[in-house]
Amino acid sequence: MRAGSHDAILAETLARRGQVGPAVAACYAALGEDPAQPGVHALLAELMLAGDFYDEAAAAATKAIELDPDCAPAYLDLGLAYDRRGGMWDQSILVWHELAEVAEDLVTARVQLGEAFAAASFDEEAVDAWKAALAIDPKHPRAMYNMAVAALKREGVPTALPTFRKAGELDPSQDDLFFAIAGIGPVPDVLPDPDAVPDERGALLEAAGVLARAEDYFGAQDLLSAVLESDPADPDALALAGYMYLKQEAVNEAMAVALRALTLSKDCIAAVYVLGVAYAKHPGLGGHAARVLSALAVSVPAHPMPHVLLAESLMGLQRFTEAMKSYRTAVALDPACVRARFGLAATLLTEGRHAEADWEVRRAAYYDTKRQNLFWTLWDAYRRGGEPG
Amino acid sequence: MSDDAPLRLYQAFVHQDPASAIKVVEGVRATGTTQDQIFDALFAPALAFLGAAWACDDVDEIAFTQAAVVAEQITSFVTPPSAVLDTGVTVIIGCMHKDRHAVMKNIIVAALRGAGDRVIDLGVDVRPADFLEKVDETGAKIVIVCAEILQTARSVGRVRDMLGGAGRDDVVLLVSGGPFQADVRIAKQAGANGVLRGAESAVHLVAKVAADRLTSAGGPT
Repeated sequence: MRAGSHDAILAETLARRGQVGPAVAACYAALGEDPAQPGVHALLAELMLAGDFYDEAAAAATKAIELDPDCAPAYLDLGLAYDRRGGMWDQSILVWHELAEVAEDLVTARVQLGEAFAAASFDEEAVDAWKAALAIDPKHPRAMYNMAVAALKREGVPTALPTFRKAGELDPSQDDLFFAIAGIGPVPDVLPDPDAVPDERGALLEAAGVLARAEDYFGAQDLLSAVLESDPADPDALALAGYMYLKQEAVNEAMAVALRALTLSKDCIAAVYVLGVAYAKHPGLGGHAARVLSALAVSVPAHPMPHVLLAESLMGLQRFTEAMKSYRTAVALDPACVRARFGLAATLLTEGRHAEADWEVRRAAYYDTKRQNLFWTLWDAYRRGGEPG
Repeated sequence: MSDDAPLRLYQAFVHQDPASAIKVVEGVRATGTTQDQIFDALFAPALAFLGAAWACDDVDEIAFTQAAVVAEQITSFVTPPSAVLDTGVTVIIGCMHKDRHAVMKNIIVAALRGAGDRVIDLGVDVRPADFLEKVDETGAKIVIVCAEILQTARSVGRVRDMLGGAGRDDVVLLVSGGPFQADVRIAKQAGANGVLRGAESAVHLVAKVAADRLTSAGGPT
């Protein structure tokens, strides 16, 4: 954006604050002064996209690209506009391909490219694109979810389910559920010093929870040991220990402490979570997992993730109709839950409802790209790189 | 099952003695406890003992991990049977000639196999004569034909004609695909006995057909 363009700066400021209407007006004012500002056209595209005006967004993004073929944020908005509008897969494939070249490390471009290929029934090309995404970021959940859906189409649910679970483990929302159940807040800027925590159950457990959330399992374990030393029958401490064992792939240890916690208190929801997830990791315990996760969904009905976990266990039991119901509950609770959207797509595919499945994948992409705040990341990088003219 | 069996299993874990652990499991099984019950009645309580011992610091972290490894080693002895029993039902499935939409077929194949059926997947673009040939070869009594486009759905009747012409009217013909769900008359015109509405529907309908045939004919399907 050119220095001194007051309206352009105003448009950016307003857009960042989410004041879409005034920001659009400022964009038009800036373009009235100088219509050859690709950054402002890209900004306008983003604002139109925010209002679900896909044709207008595509027009503004196209103009930005005409003015500057390296304008990465405009490619993003153009691709998203085509995808969300639907029925423009050929153009969409071209745009994502271009963005993948302009921003080589942008994983989402390759994931979206794969989804565009899949929508156009180029299944092999789609898988190649997702593999390229995973080569850049092996822990990208959406690329993994897409691989799971591709596996489902080729070989059915039993082959796809492990990939769904693997993708779910990469997705931080499952951990968020445990922390919500256990009442563990966000990680503070300064972590608690284990040596400075008062020797009192509440303080020790709280600090252990924070350290566990920050993935300092050794520090957390020290504090938990202090809690268990004074009361080995503390179910909350046992549940937190179980969670940490799960995170370290020690499934039997997690199961052991969760079972002990539930022997002490059947109402310890955090232990129910640990036990359910541990059971779900064992191939032969699908029925057990479904029972425990069903109890979890009843205990925490307002959180989408228990319903997702239950749905995944039901998928393993080939109870697709019930799984779909649970996924739908999760989506109703959180329309932005990408894991639930992909799961729902999978259950719809088991009934041959391809169009609805595609719709759910597109909605997942919609919410995922919104959540990532990708436009502003690209826009800031573009600004730093400068604009021609 | 004796009351101290979970305790003995726990002790086998702690002593890192898989042989004794298996002996405990076999002993419990010998008392008539079914495989489905062993996990909840024996293994879970033993693990709970182990968790308690860890919490009380009766076993240290290393011993806890080693005990968990022994528990892992005997997991296959205590988990409910993961392999579904063979139903003995043979199902022939394929996409109709000139139809290459394999997704639904693939999902149904996996679901039926998961349910224990013997599935013979003929793939895509299958000619009616190939269905008949496989029926003759295997003696299967259930054929599933998938067709996702109207043109191929309307031609599924050729499979029924082929079967009828060979005196195989006893074969149950099930169809799957969007056109059949949209208009069930297409399935009736094709001489189909039923329409599958997805993988779960396939599992249920095949099981029902097999059960009905067993009841009426007293023979395998």
